[in-house]
Amino acid sequence: MGMFAAADELANRYAKVFLVHSDGSRDPLPQLTPEDQDLLSRALEYPARENFLRAARMIGSENWIPAFQRRPVLKVNGNGDPVSAEDKAFRVMVASPLRSESEDRNPSVEIQFWKLTYDPHTRRLHCSLAETLLFGSQELYGSRRMRNDS
Amino acid sequence: MKIASSRRSSAINPRQSRGASKTGRSAGSSFGVGHLIEFTRNLDLIQTISVLTLVLAIIFQLDHWLFRIVSGICFLMFALRPSSLRQPLFWFALALAGTITIILTWEQVDNHKYLLVYWTWVLFVVHLFRDAEQQKHILLFNARFFLCLIFLAASAQKLASPSYRSGEMFEHYLYVDPRFAAFGKLVGINPVVGDVVTRKMHFLRSPFADVEGNDIHIEGSDRARIAAVAMTWWDLGLQLAIGALLLLRWRRTDEIAHIVLLFFIFTTYLPAPVFGFGWILAIMGFTLAKDKFPRIATAYLLSFFAILLYQLPWRDWVLRS
Repeated sequence: MGMFAAADELANRYAKVFLVHSDGSRDPLPQLTPEDQDLLSRALEYPARENFLRAARMIGSENWIPAFQRRPVLKVNGNGDPVSAEDKAFRVMVASPLRSESEDRNPSVEIQFWKLTYDPHTRRLHCSLAETLLFGSQELYGSRRMRNDS
Repeated sequence: MKIASSRRSSAINPRQSRGASKTGRSAGSSFGVGHLIEFTRNLDLIQTISVLTLVLAIIFQLDHWLFRIVSGICFLMFALRPSSLRQPLFWFALALAGTITIILTWEQVDNHKYLLVYWTWVLFVVHLFRDAEQQKHILLFNARFFLCLIFLAASAQKLASPSYRSGEMFEHYLYVDPRFAAFGKLVGINPVVGDVVTRKMHFLRSPFADVEGNDIHIEGSDRARIAAVAMTWWDLGLQLAIGALLLLRWRRTDEIAHIVLLFFIFTTYLPAPVFGFGWILAIMGFTLAKDKFPRIATAYLLSFFAILLYQLPWRDWVLRS
């Protein structure tokens, strides 16, 4: 927030990032590296596709490996209290210097761009999906780095 | 900092000098206010502005290694040889480092950092000239230009933003932005509300949570609504007034604009920790007021100290009390 202030700014924008594998399965990336986060924040400041692509390329270049067993998605009510666990579950992926042999080497990257809005009349904070950007492996890695890495 | 001799000052404007001496005797003999006004009057404008800008570049600098290194070297050069401030190359190095830094990080740089870099280019141009009157003319023109541009453009942008005009933005920030937590407590908003909202927002942002309806309720209060609407129109009203009054270029409107700008600086940067912005606005205000309004210029000098004092951890004290 600065001299030119409005509600629609970085503080009220965020992204959810997923690796999308060739079999269609998705793994969220809740813990990005500082470099990834920096590029993602820049893209959220100026949410143009090319800025998200730059962040996605950086994210896609990391070696992502599953850290724990699958974690279920929690159902949360409007008061912020978890009420139940859904059937859906994701793996928690972390960036690692080690390359997993079993992981898809050329996953696509999906970035969901979300915005928060506050309604002063109802005093409710609402988040809405502004855009979903899917970057395929060709766009992310090009011919330079289609990781067949023999 | 170089202080021009009283003789030189009197030679430039003997009427002002007499007025100041009188003011000094009548109003400030016991409190030193007169001496302070006299001190301000005798400062060399170009050198004072140069030093204040260098301090700004050092204390509230651009967060990048290139700018940190160059501004550090500039400060060292100034410490070893104060006359280096008068060299165009000195300002060229600072302005160029700032420009490169902004090009590299343009998406994330706060708008007042852009202003700092523009201002360093102004000082570079100022120091290309040898004639003191020409230097002063460039400085005065740019100070007025930037103050009008900033305040009028900011007012137009805010007036065009429905989420700003409605007070929604400040109300939201009073609940969720830690920078406003202490101020919020002072106006009667329980800081616990902010902690609860932050925890709830974590669920909204997490891919491992599915929040019903994608919205959460904030246990707010009418106080926040009233405070937010007041902050919104207070901020917009002051900014519009400053920009419009300075545009007229009349002595009387200038005087009112300076008083409003000082009020803005002293009150805004207490709750809003954007100290670099306050500092550069004070530099520009001081530039315009220095020769025309010595008392106001003195108040600008005091505002620099106020901005430094505002960095005391008073927010923590308020939140802990």
